Amino acid sequence: MSLGSWFELIASGLITGGIYALVGLGLNLQYGLMRILNIAHGEFLMVGAFLTWMAHETLGLHPLLMVPVSFALLMGVGMVVHRLTFRRLAATSPDLDVFEARGLMVAFGLMFLVQNFAQAVWGGDLRGYEFWTDPVRLGSAQFAGNKLLLLLLSLAFSVGLIVLLRLTLLGKGVRALMQSPTGAQLVGIDTQRLHPLMFGVGLGLSGVAGCLLSMAYTISPSMGEPYTVTALIVITLGGFGSMGGALAGGLALGVIEALGMHFTNPSLKSLLSYVVFIGVLLWKPNGLFNRR
Amino acid sequence: MNGHPQLEARGVTVRFGGLTAVDDVSAAFAAGELAGIIGPNGAGKTTFFNALSGVQQPTSGELFAHGQRLTGAKPHQYAAHGIARTFQTPRVFGQLSVAANIDFGLQFAGLHRKSSWLLKDEDSILHLIGLSDQAGLPAAAITPSQQRLLEIGMALATRPKLLLLDEVAAGLTEAEVEAMAQLIRRLRDELDLTVIWIEHAVTTLLRHVERVLVLHQGRKIADGAPSEVIRNPEVVEAYLGDEMTEAA
Amino acid sequence: MSTLPATRWERLVYRVRTFLLDTEHLGRDLLVLVALAGWALALPHYGSEFVVSMALTCLMYIALATSWTLFCGTTRYLSLATAAFFGLGAYVSALFIDSWGWLAVIGAGAGIASLVAVLMGSAVLHLRGTYFAVLTFGMTELIRHAIAYWEKQVTGTVGRVLTVVPERDTVYLTMLGLAVLAVAVSIVVRRTRFGLGLMGIGADEQRAQTLGVNTRVAKIGGFALTAAFAGAVGAAMSVRWTYIDPATVFNPFIGFQTVLIALIGGVATLWGPLIAAIVFSLLAESLRLQAPQLYLMTLGLLLILSVLYLPGGLASLRWSTLRQWRDDTQAWWKELREPKSRKAANTVQGTRA
Repeated sequence: MSLGSWFELIASGLITGGIYALVGLGLNLQYGLMRILNIAHGEFLMVGAFLTWMAHETLGLHPLLMVPVSFALLMGVGMVVHRLTFRRLAATSPDLDVFEARGLMVAFGLMFLVQNFAQAVWGGDLRGYEFWTDPVRLGSAQFAGNKLLLLLLSLAFSVGLIVLLRLTLLGKGVRALMQSPTGAQLVGIDTQRLHPLMFGVGLGLSGVAGCLLSMAYTISPSMGEPYTVTALIVITLGGFGSMGGALAGGLALGVIEALGMHFTNPSLKSLLSYVVFIGVLLWKPNGLFNRR
Repeated sequence: MNGHPQLEARGVTVRFGGLTAVDDVSAAFAAGELAGIIGPNGAGKTTFFNALSGVQQPTSGELFAHGQRLTGAKPHQYAAHGIARTFQTPRVFGQLSVAANIDFGLQFAGLHRKSSWLLKDEDSILHLIGLSDQAGLPAAAITPSQQRLLEIGMALATRPKLLLLDEVAAGLTEAEVEAMAQLIRRLRDELDLTVIWIEHAVTTLLRHVERVLVLHQGRKIADGAPSEVIRNPEVVEAYLGDEMTEAA
Repeated sequence: MSTLPATRWERLVYRVRTFLLDTEHLGRDLLVLVALAGWALALPHYGSEFVVSMALTCLMYIALATSWTLFCGTTRYLSLATAAFFGLGAYVSALFIDSWGWLAVIGAGAGIASLVAVLMGSAVLHLRGTYFAVLTFGMTELIRHAIAYWEKQVTGTVGRVLTVVPERDTVYLTMLGLAVLAVAVSIVVRRTRFGLGLMGIGADEQRAQTLGVNTRVAKIGGFALTAAFAGAVGAAMSVRWTYIDPATVFNPFIGFQTVLIALIGGVATLWGPLIAAIVFSLLAESLRLQAPQLYLMTLGLLLILSVLYLPGGLASLRWSTLRQWRDDTQAWWKELREPKSRKAANTVQGTRA
C-alpha cells in the first residue's frame, strides 16, 4: 500500500474517531462525575443531527451556525432532563449501586422515548443534505471537505473541554468532584448546580457530534444506538472518568476500526467492536489507560 | 482437636496498589483462646480480619485452619471450616425479621456443622444473645445496639469454632460495653469458642482478654498478655501513651 | 452433643424433608396458578384467532418476565441477555425441527441456552450491577453479530425458513406449559434454600458469603435457570414466524420489554411481573399495528415514572403510596408558589456520586 493510501486510511479512522471521542467525552462526564450511565446518549446525538438537518432544509440555516446552536439546545435539554429525573433519583436512592441501577433504567426509558418520538415526528427514512463535498488535496491523499471539517471541529471541541476542565475554576471544581464528592462539598463546591450543568454539557457535546455527522453522512432515527455502544467502548478503553483517556480511546478506536475493516471483512466491524468492548470490560474494568 | 492451632496466619501481607495495609503478620490462635487486637486507626485490623475470613485474598502469606490450608479459599469455605465474623457496621438483612436473620446462617454454613445444643435453632440463639422478644420485628426496626447483638447472633448461627468480632462495642455506653464483654466471655466459655476481638475501647478489652495483639501501620508490634503489652515502649509510643497509662 | 443428622443418608433425607423452608401461602399460590392455567387452557376453544394470538404473546412474556425476576429480581443482577437466549432457542428450533421432535427441540433450546449462560455467567457474574447489565447487553449483541456473520460467510443465506410447523394449538399448549412451569418454579424456589441464598445475594452479597452461601454457584445456577426458560420460549415462538433471521430473534427489544415488565410489575414479587406481562402484552398487541411509536414511547415514559416514583413496581402500590404522592404533589405545588423556603433547606443536602 502506498504512503498516500496509508495516510488516507489512518486519517479516515481519525475522522470517525473524532466523533467517537466527542460522544465518549460526553458520556464520560456523565458517568465519571455523576455515575449516570446514560444509555440514551446516542439518541440525543440523533436529535442534534435531525435538528441541524431540519434547520438546513426548512429554514435554510447554514450547518456551521447550527454547531453552537445544537450545543446550546441540547445542553438546555440535558439540564431539564437532569432536574426532572436524575435529581430525584439522587435524593431517593439508598446507596450508590441502587442509584446507578435506577439511573440505567431511567436512561433506558429515555432511549425508548426519544428514539420513538423522533421516528414519529420525522419518519424512519434516511435523510441527508449536501455540504462541502468537494475534495481537498493533502499531499497525495484526498479527502472530502466536510469530513476534514468534522475532524477539525470535533478535535476542537474535545480539546476545548479538556482545557476547560484543567484550567478554569469551574473545571477544577468538576475534577475535584470526580475525585472526592464529599471532599469537594466540604470545600464549598456546589454540587446542586454543577451536576445538571455538566450533564447538560455532556448532552451538548453529543448534540454537536450529531450536528457534525449530519454534514457528511446520512441520518436516521435509529442511528443513535450504535454511537451509544461506541461511546461505552470508548470510555471503557480510556477508563471511567478519564477525559484524556476518552479522547485517546475514541481516536484509537476509530483508527482500529478503519484498519480492521480494510484488512479483514467490513462486515466484521460490529463484531470486532463488541469483542473489544467485552474484552476490555472483563480484563481491565478500570480501563486500559487507568493506573488504578 | 488434632494439635494444630484453631487458626494460623503466616506472614500474611495485604497490599492495595501502593498501600500496604497488612504487613507480614503472623499469629496462631489456639482453641478456646480469648484474644484481642488493638491498634490506632488505619493499623490494618479490619483488613487483617478480612484476610482471616476469606473476604480479602492476601497478597502473600498463608492461612491455616486446624492444619488445613485455607489460603485462597472463598468466604463460604472459611465459614464451612467454622470461622465466623461480624462486621464493623452491622450488616443485617433489614427486610427480614430478626428470627429470619438468625435462620439464614443456620440454613447455610451452619447446616451440617455439629455444635452444642445451645445453638440448636433460632430460638436458642436468640435466647443466648438476649433478643428473644424482638424475634418477629424486621431487623431494620431494632436499635443499633440490638443490631450489634443480631450481628453476633447471625455469626453464631453458622455454628463456628472461631468468632471474629470487629468493634462490637463501638458507640456503646460504659455499661453496655461491660455487658457486651460479659456476653463475649460467656459465649467463649459455654460454646467452647475461640474469640478474636478487635476493639477501640482498649481499657475494657484489656480487662477481659487473655492475650492481646497490637497492630501499627500494618505490622504486629506486640503479642502477649495484657499486662506485658501495655508496658511495651513501642505500643506506648504508637498510642501516644494516654490510653495505655490509664489502663496501667 | 449434636442434634444434627450424621450419616450421608440421614442428611439427604433431612434435606428432602426440609426442602421447602416455609409453606406459608404455598397452597394459595398454587391454587391461583391452577385456576389461571385452567382458564387459559379453555381459551383456544372459544376465542377468536386474534384473541388466541394475543394470549400467546401474554404467555410468552409471563414466562420470560417471571423467570427473569426469579434470578435478576432477587439478586439484583440485572441481565439484559434475555434476547440472546431467546434467539439461541429460536435458532435451535429452526435448525433441528425437521430432524427432531417438537419437545426435543424445546428441550434442546433450553439446554443450549443454559450452557451459554453458564459460560457467560462464569466470565461475567463476578462483576457488580451496572457492569453486569452492560456486559450482558454487549454479549447479546456479540452473539447476534456473530451469528449474522457466520450466516453470511459460511452458509451464504441470511435467516432460516421453517418448513415443518406444528399446529397452532400445540404451540399454544406448549407456551402455556412453559408459563405455568415458570410461575410454579418461582413459587417453589423462593421457598427453598436456593431462593434464600439468591435473596441474600441481592440484600448483601458479602454478608451472605460469610454466612456460608456459595455465591458463585448460586449465581451461575440462577442465571442458567433464567436462560433455560428464555431458550425454551424462543424455541417455541420461532414457529410463529415462518422465517427467522438474527435481527428478529435477537432483537434486544425482547430483552428490554422483559426487563421493563418485571420492573414495572415489581421485581421482588411473584405476581407483579405476571400481571404487568398481561397488561403490556395487551397494550402492545392493540397499539403495535396502529401506532407502534406511541406504544414504545408510553413504555419508555412508564419505565421512567415507575423507577422515579414507584421503584418497587406496581406490586408495591399501597394506599400509603397514593397518600404519599398526594402529599408530595401538594408540597411541590406550595414550593412553586413560595420559592424562598427552598434556599434555606438546601445548604448541606447530600447528593449522589
